[in-house]
Amino acid sequence: MKKRIIVEGVSKKFKIGFKKRESALSRIIHLFSGREPKKTLEALKDVSFKVDSGEIVGIIGKNGSGKSTLLRTIAGIYKQDKGNIKAKGKIISLINLNIGMHHRLTMENNIFLCCSLFGLSHREIREKFDSIIEFSELRDFVSTKLYQFSNGMLQRLAFSIAIHCTPDILLLDEIFEFGDEKFKEKSAEKIKEMVRKGACVVLVSHDLRMVEKYCHRVILMTDGAIKKEGKAKEIVKGYKIEV
Amino acid sequence: MKIRHFLNLSFEIAKSSFKLRNEGSYLGIFWYLLNPLLLFVLLLLVFSDRLGNNIPSYPLYLLLGIIIFNFFQQSTLESTRVIVRDYGELIKSINFPREALVLGITLRSVFSHFFEFILFLFFMLIFKNSMTGLIFYPIILVFLFVFIFGFSLILSSLTVYFIDLDNIWNFFVRLVWLATPIFYSIGGQDRLFIANLFNPLYYFITLSREIIIYTRLPELWIIFGALFYALSALLIGMLVFNKLKVKFAEML
Repeated sequence: MKKRIIVEGVSKKFKIGFKKRESALSRIIHLFSGREPKKTLEALKDVSFKVDSGEIVGIIGKNGSGKSTLLRTIAGIYKQDKGNIKAKGKIISLINLNIGMHHRLTMENNIFLCCSLFGLSHREIREKFDSIIEFSELRDFVSTKLYQFSNGMLQRLAFSIAIHCTPDILLLDEIFEFGDEKFKEKSAEKIKEMVRKGACVVLVSHDLRMVEKYCHRVILMTDGAIKKEGKAKEIVKGYKIEV
Repeated sequence: MKIRHFLNLSFEIAKSSFKLRNEGSYLGIFWYLLNPLLLFVLLLLVFSDRLGNNIPSYPLYLLLGIIIFNFFQQSTLESTRVIVRDYGELIKSINFPREALVLGITLRSVFSHFFEFILFLFFMLIFKNSMTGLIFYPIILVFLFVFIFGFSLILSSLTVYFIDLDNIWNFFVRLVWLATPIFYSIGGQDRLFIANLFNPLYYFITLSREIIIYTRLPELWIIFGALFYALSALLIGMLVFNKLKVKFAEML
């Protein structure tokens, strides 16, 4: 099996602002300098795992357990403080459905902008344009501006764009929260098809049913570290009991 | 292949930003012309008898100064917003070459600069000015573009660390507007002349005026000055941006 993603001992720290009881003097100083005291938060602690090609890996865990940070680090958006990340192939990240869509532009304009963010050339986008619209089932709204779209429609569009940009590594962060059941099924089928062709998928979701149904392996994270890793059914079951 | 992707992306960003600006406006592109045109007419009315008295072809002198400055102003002001405000969320979601954002807004400013330049050509025709100097304009524009792109790289990356920079720059641009001989000429004022040696725009504007309006070769130090500022802005810009871009996603 070809390894797509190798994450070795990755740690990431953030400096975050916090308030504690402070003296009048320091309060005045902070008022003038506009700076607040910072403390470091360890978002990722020594995380290691591998993803093979042809695999769908789910990441679950509570809010703030480092799931999104992990995805962003794999995507190269954050730079890790320690450790190594190797990713082979083209990475497409879909984090909170944010793929640079402008609400004041038409769907057509947005498709061109977003696809070029993912590295497609103008000609490639032209070729894939119909297929993107077909998959998102938004044929009637090509020249509608996005602010008039519903959340579900935006989600369909974003997902459709992402999968048409031929990812080898697809990073999905909470993207199924708005879609209806039918589209979820359809997306999942599409993902399976891509995975069969050799891609891999890392899926962060709170939708445990989806995770259980489609992921081959699941990683449970707590406080920035991997707590458990294994077969989807066992991990999800254990997590459900815990919650 | 990679550079083509980068250029393609920058172009798409420029296009969408251009469309966004015209979105829902009734006059659309005319705003690009109206703004410099109104400023031009106003300054012409106020100054043509006084400051412009000794300047040959004062209306053209003035208009060319305005549109070149406008190019600089638009692009740099936009660059203080593009990363923090306009595309901050996107930077946290997708790992794409961040420089494309800055190149995109510089390209967009070139688009609007073209419209303004057509306006200038129109006035060249009215005043029956010689058109021969125009063939050199593309070369000047390339260096002006390089300078503005480099400068925008510096500004845009610094705003991530100093959020107030957009306010400061807003004020500073006005200062540069007054210090640059746009609606007046330096004449014999020594202090102003020395100050303008450190003003890159002075070189570009003088260069364009000499070649395009007066059809004569500018002094060599003006040409070298423009070259120097263009290349050093690009170099410093790329260095600074490269150094700072790693932390963008965390700072936003």
